Amino acid sequence: MKIKTLEEILKKKSSKTEFAILTNLENGDSEIYLPGTSPKGEFSKYADEIENFFKSKKNGVIENSEIFVETYIKPIKVIIVGAVHIAQYLVDFAKSLNFEISIIDPRGYFASEQRFPEIKVINKWPKEAFEEIETNSSTALIALTHDPKIDDPALQYALKNKFYYIGALGSKKTHENRCQRLAEAGFTNDEINSIHGPIGIKLGGKSAPEIALSIIAQLVSETYKK
Amino acid sequence: MKNSFDEKILDEAKDWIKANQKVVLATVIQTWGSSPRQVGSRMIVNEKGDFSGSVSGGCVESAVVGECLSLIKDNKPCKKIEFKVSNESAWEVGLACGGEIAVYIEQIH
Repeated sequence: MKIKTLEEILKKKSSKTEFAILTNLENGDSEIYLPGTSPKGEFSKYADEIENFFKSKKNGVIENSEIFVETYIKPIKVIIVGAVHIAQYLVDFAKSLNFEISIIDPRGYFASEQRFPEIKVINKWPKEAFEEIETNSSTALIALTHDPKIDDPALQYALKNKFYYIGALGSKKTHENRCQRLAEAGFTNDEINSIHGPIGIKLGGKSAPEIALSIIAQLVSETYKK
Repeated sequence: MKNSFDEKILDEAKDWIKANQKVVLATVIQTWGSSPRQVGSRMIVNEKGDFSGSVSGGCVESAVVGECLSLIKDNKPCKKIEFKVSNESAWEVGLACGGEIAVYIEQIH
């Protein structure tokens, strides 16, 4: 692989572009393939196969060839509401798991850059904050403030936009009250039951990193179910 | 659904190159049976034999490091290595899981 190709790969990764690396295993030639374009040179013979690998998000050697295809997909977007202590540990876990994190918190003293040096923290109320973030059914929401003023509008937005994972921090009692408010707001039982609350898998721990671990474990597990 | 569990080995490769090291990239390109790492798993090796990342669960890494060092020494661009149960030398290295893998090594130049 040429250093130039490596640099281009890193650039594509940081701009969250989807692409594939094509490698000719016989001579070591490699190039970057962008969906919707035609592979160049010697790779052009395998255009259909390359596109199929890309569509199925698979890596592998094209049958009866010496061409290796490795696809890069966009990281899953995870929106955290509440720039709280647990969120700091979630950011750490998300880094190694390659989730793309955005944090929303209207409270300036929580949303400071000093607390989250590497993450985009949107210091706005959820309604305005969501105007800045592109979301779809492959987005996840983790609500951590357990303040209805902040969490509820975010949960309503996530339910309406059919996020694949929605979790909300809070005790059983807090969650019961939350469910009741959502029912009053017109959400169906199925929608309300799709929220993971109290959030996280049962690990037994109560410290911030332990709760973060239980949340991220649930998030990963739900990702593979969808 | 799939997340892109990018282990950032290529990012590290860039750092090594910046530090004037020779870098060989090893990638799992095929697997048969039960193999610990999936296709696309990566490892980098420099001329001193330092390595980062993985292509198996620790079973064949030392052999891959050796192959990468030879690649640098012989100044060859790339090579495909198969680790199979039937391959005696590979068996010595010990793919304990019983699976088979093909690893592609290439110099970054």
